[in-house]
Amino acid sequence: MIVRSLNGLGDLLMYLGTVLRSALGSWRRREEIFDKSLLVIQQSLATTVFAGFFVGAIMTLQFTLQVQMFSALSYLGALVTSATVREVGPLLIAFLLSGKIGAFTSAELGTMKVSEQIDAIRCLGSDPIREVIVPRFLGIIIASFFLLSFGLLFSFFGGLLMATTFSGLPWEQYLSQIPRVVSGFSILSGVVKCFVFSLVIATICTYRGYTVFGGAKEVGDGVVQAATQTMIALVVADWFTTFILEGLINV
Amino acid sequence: MVGLKGEIMDVGKDAPIIELKSTSLGFDGHEVLKDFDLKLFEGDSLVLVGPSGSGKSTLLKLMAGLLKPQSGAVLYRGHDLSTLSKKLREEHLAEVGMLFQQNALFDSMTVFENLRFVIEEVEGIQQALDRKDDILETLEAVGLDHVLDHFPSEISGGMQKRLGIARALVLKPRLVFYDDPTAGLDPITSRKIVSMILELQKKWGATIVTVTNDMMRAYQLAGRCMVCFPGEFLKTGSAEDTKAFADPRVQQFIRGDVNGPLEAL
Repeated sequence: MIVRSLNGLGDLLMYLGTVLRSALGSWRRREEIFDKSLLVIQQSLATTVFAGFFVGAIMTLQFTLQVQMFSALSYLGALVTSATVREVGPLLIAFLLSGKIGAFTSAELGTMKVSEQIDAIRCLGSDPIREVIVPRFLGIIIASFFLLSFGLLFSFFGGLLMATTFSGLPWEQYLSQIPRVVSGFSILSGVVKCFVFSLVIATICTYRGYTVFGGAKEVGDGVVQAATQTMIALVVADWFTTFILEGLINV
Repeated sequence: MVGLKGEIMDVGKDAPIIELKSTSLGFDGHEVLKDFDLKLFEGDSLVLVGPSGSGKSTLLKLMAGLLKPQSGAVLYRGHDLSTLSKKLREEHLAEVGMLFQQNALFDSMTVFENLRFVIEEVEGIQQALDRKDDILETLEAVGLDHVLDHFPSEISGGMQKRLGIARALVLKPRLVFYDDPTAGLDPITSRKIVSMILELQKKWGATIVTVTNDMMRAYQLAGRCMVCFPGEFLKTGSAEDTKAFADPRVQQFIRGDVNGPLEAL
């Protein structure tokens, strides 16, 4: 099982290498990539904003109980924003996007594979990676990055609203301590995670769709594998990026 | 005459347009072809029949260059497909059309766009714009000129099949592969589709290779037949020769008998 998993990981990394190489010459396909990004954003913007808003609100609820014990309510905004931007926001929103964009993409590509549309493209002498995968791959990365950032912005508003209505903290106080705790590095950390997570979602979901072999059942299996593997990979990627980024800050 | 694995099958007179030389191919330890040789000549109509899972579609995709043999070579006009130069590869693709078993229509494109995309990919965007009349002529030939703006999901199964054929023929290829052109169609539509394939072959002239499980349609199409069984491909000759072929498996397959040597397969 370990050997099989390592083989699978090797195949995935080789696939990522092929996609990235093909993506280098994709400037002439920018309109298609833009269209794919726009489609993903249209499909997921409302959900992301909604989820982001409530992530911030939940974090405020949780932290209110803790900081009140230490009579440190004025630090609520700083703690909520820091935790949301650096950790919880990117991860939860990435989970949501993997379910929405990831499942859609792997099912779409899987269906194209089993209905021989990919073979038909190869039959025309075109490279399916360049024609089909790269626009979706870059579209997911661009859109996910935008959506994650937008979700984080709304998580801030969610936290602010909950702080003023539930925790009884004036908005000026909520904002006042944020610059003391949330540094440029915190924001950079969130941005890096947004990028890494979008790369994880795009890679696994397009790979699982593209490598489907068989029929409708296998497309279903591919979608399930894409969903579970993306979630596991997101958690591992979160640990890894945190480990690296925290390491950098302590150097 | 039985053409067992490894025997060269001569199906024409001039130099072969496609030649398989000692090709072997398998999946997950299951051997589909072993040291298989085949020559296909200009103007041939070769029909591959046989039970499901016998490797007919695999052989077709190998000839089309969609699969690579694990050993041996697939030659296109004497050139190895796996090592073709860019120019020869383009030439080869412009000469090849393929109808896929499930049509493989691009479902996000209209009927017209499905054909335009083929020209765009093979010859370029400008050529696709210049050759609008060729697209319309091809769609007219298959009776789909009245549904240009429809999406594949908005037309019937028979029309989808005709669209698949139109897409395979839009570049007027010299070599056309039809993978089960009558699958899932009623007998009347099947007959119409096969008649249309023959008409178009007569009109534009092409070498065709067809995979089918329908013996009636196979007889209608066949210049030569090959009956495929797992790991073995029998050259059975013309439609009449195939009907009289002595191998009991061939006779069982033709008659569709439940009992016989094929039962164990």
